[in-house]
Amino acid sequence: MSVFRIDVLEGARIALFSLKANRMRTVLTTVGIGIGVATLLAIIGIVQGLNSSFDKQLATIGANTLHISKWPWVIRGDWWTYRNRKNFTLPQVEQIRAQSSYVTAISPVVGRAADVSHGEEQLATVGVNGVTSEYLIISGFEVTQGRFITEADNETTRPVAVIGADVAAGLFPNVSPVGQTIRVEGRPFQVVGTLSRKGKILDNNQDLVVMVPFKTFYAAFGKQRPFSIAIAVTSADVVKQAEDQLVGIMRRLRATPADQPDDFSINRPEMLANTYQQLTGALYGVAVGVGLITLLVGGIGIMNIMLVSVRERTREIGIRRALGARKQTIVLQFLMEASAVSAVGGTLGTVVGLGLAKVVSLITPLAADVQLLTVVAGVGFAAVVGLLFGIWPAARAANLDPVEALRYE
Amino acid sequence: MTPENGAGGDGRLIQLQDITRLFTVGGEEVRALRGISFGIARGEWVAIIGQSGSGKTTLMNLLGCLDTPTSGRYFLNGKDVSRMSDDELAMIRNKEIGFIFQTFQLLPRETAQSNVELPLVYRGLPARERRTRARAALEKVGLGNRMHHKPNELSGGQRQRVAIARALVAEPSMLLADEPTGNLDSATGEEIVRLFEELHRAGHTLVLVTHEPKLAARCPRAVRLSDGQVVADGPGREVALFDRELHPVQAAGGA
Repeated sequence: MSVFRIDVLEGARIALFSLKANRMRTVLTTVGIGIGVATLLAIIGIVQGLNSSFDKQLATIGANTLHISKWPWVIRGDWWTYRNRKNFTLPQVEQIRAQSSYVTAISPVVGRAADVSHGEEQLATVGVNGVTSEYLIISGFEVTQGRFITEADNETTRPVAVIGADVAAGLFPNVSPVGQTIRVEGRPFQVVGTLSRKGKILDNNQDLVVMVPFKTFYAAFGKQRPFSIAIAVTSADVVKQAEDQLVGIMRRLRATPADQPDDFSINRPEMLANTYQQLTGALYGVAVGVGLITLLVGGIGIMNIMLVSVRERTREIGIRRALGARKQTIVLQFLMEASAVSAVGGTLGTVVGLGLAKVVSLITPLAADVQLLTVVAGVGFAAVVGLLFGIWPAARAANLDPVEALRYE
Repeated sequence: MTPENGAGGDGRLIQLQDITRLFTVGGEEVRALRGISFGIARGEWVAIIGQSGSGKTTLMNLLGCLDTPTSGRYFLNGKDVSRMSDDELAMIRNKEIGFIFQTFQLLPRETAQSNVELPLVYRGLPARERRTRARAALEKVGLGNRMHHKPNELSGGQRQRVAIARALVAEPSMLLADEPTGNLDSATGEEIVRLFEELHRAGHTLVLVTHEPKLAARCPRAVRLSDGQVVADGPGREVALFDRELHPVQAAGGA
């Protein structure tokens, strides 16, 4: 029988024996490590859940779309510099269509929040957008009833509206909306169609929307509002090339001097994702840091308890050494004790952490999503923490002078 | 009576050659042993006697391979153990030496049987063989009916018997007892001494470290230490008396 195997077997037996003998202490130390692992896993689970639900939301915008606006979607720093930029004009929209080889659909988009009502039913802060017929393709909506806005609607500034799923549900709980008249800020619009449901992006409800012809919007709510230009290109693969081309076209149309930066912003859904990832990345880092610190505290708890254990058992160590235990045997004995505590704590922490993430996803809108790798990493990390923090006490135990240890009171 | 003759493996179980041991205590060097030389043959029963500070505890630690000498050589069973590594010494302790301590040194949470099994664990014997041998050893010391008792459920004499069983179980070359009756009342102490006499008759080599002349007087041979040196070596009764006549003044010595 190999000596190492004896050391391992005997080490394991003594470790279990000692853990059983100090039940309360074992439980408390285990809880310490468990809390660390649980915190870490719960946080990671929630962040992973957030990320995947954001990815799903983002997919509803459409990967092959571009939005030219006066300001970027994500503003960093001096927002007022964007205010002084020149507005876009409708002839520019037509010129973009004529000059770009990638554009398949283009529409000016102007919007405001407004109160919308039908009879007794009323909805506040509904997104009202003025768009043209091609916006249907760009937006990714589908018409579920009736029709979308047409060229003719726009040219003749007809007071017609296409309403989102939540507006339809809110204003017309009992009747079909098509043909009915709604009031937007008191002005009547005839509903000609309804839109499919798309869901939310972050806090923005895409279904609480009313779309009216672009020119009708201007006529009703004022021409001073700047608009942005929504564009669909041939495929998601050429978005980058399309963007470069559009930058050139826009600079020419707006006669931007060569030494000046762009006085417009081309926004892509991907940019939102990047910003989101930067934001959550920092959050993620902080959260994981907190979890790691908790684990560290748990690890120090283990070290503390192991040092106490070594001291308490100084004489036992002396006896074992006198009877033929080698240093290695003693080291293994204490390392096993430490890693047994942290492995049990890690497993408990995993169960609690996953449960916590699940509970959070049930009682809050946050979605939790824990990957197997995370679990393995969590438990593994706990075991490593136990080993690391067990090494010093174990080495202390093994390096005790047998003569001194035997005499220890 | 037992002069050393230079050779390590002269057939004697123990051969000490000019052993010294220095300790540094608070920056000062203390010479606990100053050139000890004697031998012990297989089957002998030797008392090492001396007052506290005479160096007998230091000598016992060296004989038990718990410590190594500063200079000199120590042959145990033909092997020079004075320069061995820590792991090698652990192995030697396991194979060659059966310790019997004044304070018994039993593991308090383990049963008598588990305590006796311990040296066999470190020798790497399978559980079944350990159990059989531990039982046999406990029966030999008259504790066949106390196998599953823990030390705190046993009397002092019984505890020392468990310790003796533990020392016997691995069949070492020698039993090394440190004041084995020091923590026992005289009647119980007498029982333990009787047990030693039996073991001696059965051929075991016994080394007994004590400060009690009465105990040393019962050993066939005694070695008296004073101030780190051997001052007498002869029949136990004579060496024990030797002390009474001289009343040596003790110099400050090692542990």
